[in-house]
Amino acid sequence: MIKETMTPTRRTWAAIKLEPCDRIPVAPLMDVMFPSRHRGMTVAEGISHPRRGFQAIVDTFNDVGGWDAMILPGYSLPIPPSIAAVMQVVIGDTRYPGKEPGFSLDSSPQFIEKELLTIEDYDEIIKLGWTGFAEKHLGRFFPLDPEILLAWTKRQMDRYRTEGEVWKARNIPSLCGSIVMSPLMFLSTRRSLVSFTQDLYRFPDKVQAVMDAMIDDLIVFAIEAARTTGIPGVELILERGGCFYYPLRIFERFEFRYMKKMIDAFAGEGLITVMHFDQDWTLNLPYLLDLPKKMCVCELDSTTDIFKAKEILKNHMCIMGDVPASLSSIGTPQEMQAYCEKLIDHIGKGKTGFILSTGCTIPFDAKFENFQVMINSVKNHLPQG
Amino acid sequence: MSELADAIADLKEDEVKKIVQDKIASGTNPMSIVDECRRGMEIVGQRYKNKEYFLGELIMSGEIFKEAMAAIEPNLKAGQCGKPLAKMVLGTARGDIHNIGKDIAATLLKAAGFEIFDVGVDAAPEVFVNKLKETGAPILGISGLLTPSFESMKQTVQALEAAGLRDKVKVIIGGGIVTEVVRKYVGADAFTDDAPEGVELCKKLAGEVR
Repeated sequence: MIKETMTPTRRTWAAIKLEPCDRIPVAPLMDVMFPSRHRGMTVAEGISHPRRGFQAIVDTFNDVGGWDAMILPGYSLPIPPSIAAVMQVVIGDTRYPGKEPGFSLDSSPQFIEKELLTIEDYDEIIKLGWTGFAEKHLGRFFPLDPEILLAWTKRQMDRYRTEGEVWKARNIPSLCGSIVMSPLMFLSTRRSLVSFTQDLYRFPDKVQAVMDAMIDDLIVFAIEAARTTGIPGVELILERGGCFYYPLRIFERFEFRYMKKMIDAFAGEGLITVMHFDQDWTLNLPYLLDLPKKMCVCELDSTTDIFKAKEILKNHMCIMGDVPASLSSIGTPQEMQAYCEKLIDHIGKGKTGFILSTGCTIPFDAKFENFQVMINSVKNHLPQG
Repeated sequence: MSELADAIADLKEDEVKKIVQDKIASGTNPMSIVDECRRGMEIVGQRYKNKEYFLGELIMSGEIFKEAMAAIEPNLKAGQCGKPLAKMVLGTARGDIHNIGKDIAATLLKAAGFEIFDVGVDAAPEVFVNKLKETGAPILGISGLLTPSFESMKQTVQALEAAGLRDKVKVIIGGGIVTEVVRKYVGADAFTDDAPEGVELCKKLAGEVR
């Protein structure tokens, strides 16, 4: 066991600010699913009973001997009290375990991707802005009294703050007080990948105009949520704009310019951005050098080349990741140990600029012994070489 | 290379529509139009391999190909479609409702000459087995984006064994998180996280079962 000389909070922030740490910090991306199963509940129970689900996270933290930080404090959503903000988060159709016959109680919620927004909606968003569009069309997506939605939003925000306080009391920092998608990610998931791709190639100017009409609102929602939760960071959800999906000319025009505008604005408010990169972004990594230094975390899911990321970004931002989901669920403890030590040695070289984490959320069917090995690896192994 | 193949490869949607309509109107053999479209898709695949094209271009070319085929197919006479490269059953594993990767793979496989029997998403092992029995397809593709799909894929392979089909059917698994470790766990013959690579692997598997 390595002798610790820093608190989890100091260690985590030192890694983010590229300052030396006593050891590499570890911060799994955690929701209620894996902890619920570990504590003897079904996934459906954990999701349907937020307090029990959150308690399962705390219990799992205790069972495993603790980790250094929560990327998000729990499973609730920090949404500012506005219809436009809530619309940006919740329009969609998700299949939940326990809510549908034939869908196992131990299943992940799954987003059903379909064309929720139409081409005509693009014109409306351009004309009215996102807030105007959301207020005008709320009833189309939610046939509910707006007050009911806003009350739900308030409960979510209150719970988010409370969950953050629970961790704070244990000197465990929560990194993100706010969650937001890039405009590309939002439009791609709400138009559906195929239709949105056709839009990009058929009417790129219109897509850009929609993004221009949305971007300021997205920035305001994110900053307001972080201010309300008092947690000085934003989780920026990115998947569809990277080199797995599109060439660099599309990334530059439709993703990076908006990412940069958002991250610059967050940094201007003193907020760090945890860039949650799903899928492969290896070719996009050099662009990240244009983002504010020491104000971003590059969170990878094992499909981007994390070694390339270290080579490019080592003096610019902290890297987080990237234990593959398949390793957590069907790997052996020995394989997990070897993978984590390799990351600690190479990505954690210099004992800074790296936070060991799961590649995306820990899968609900992860083996507990594998998770334990991952958490222990940083406590027993310092970067070599 | 033909004008039509080039137009598909360059993603010129309107041009493809016009060339196809003109060729149909002028009485060109529909199968030769299909062949030109397929050559265009091969160029797309090559550009993807060379990293000139990405998934977005695969999606666009796939949609253009589908539109072209929709215009050509009514003009094909019965029996004129040619022998498929191979029959293949394709679906997303039980417990997983992701369809995008599967659908992109299906389009590219069809463009490469495979006859695809798509059993949809959240498909139980017996659904795959029944479709394999019904069609006599020698290749099975199982898609999945979530870790629990590994277990469903494994159960599907076990169901093939129980049905006495395993030595007659090659199994390929695909999805963003599948790896060699997953392939071994499932007992599949091949894996891919890349649709064009999947097409190439399926061609190889088709060669092995002939």
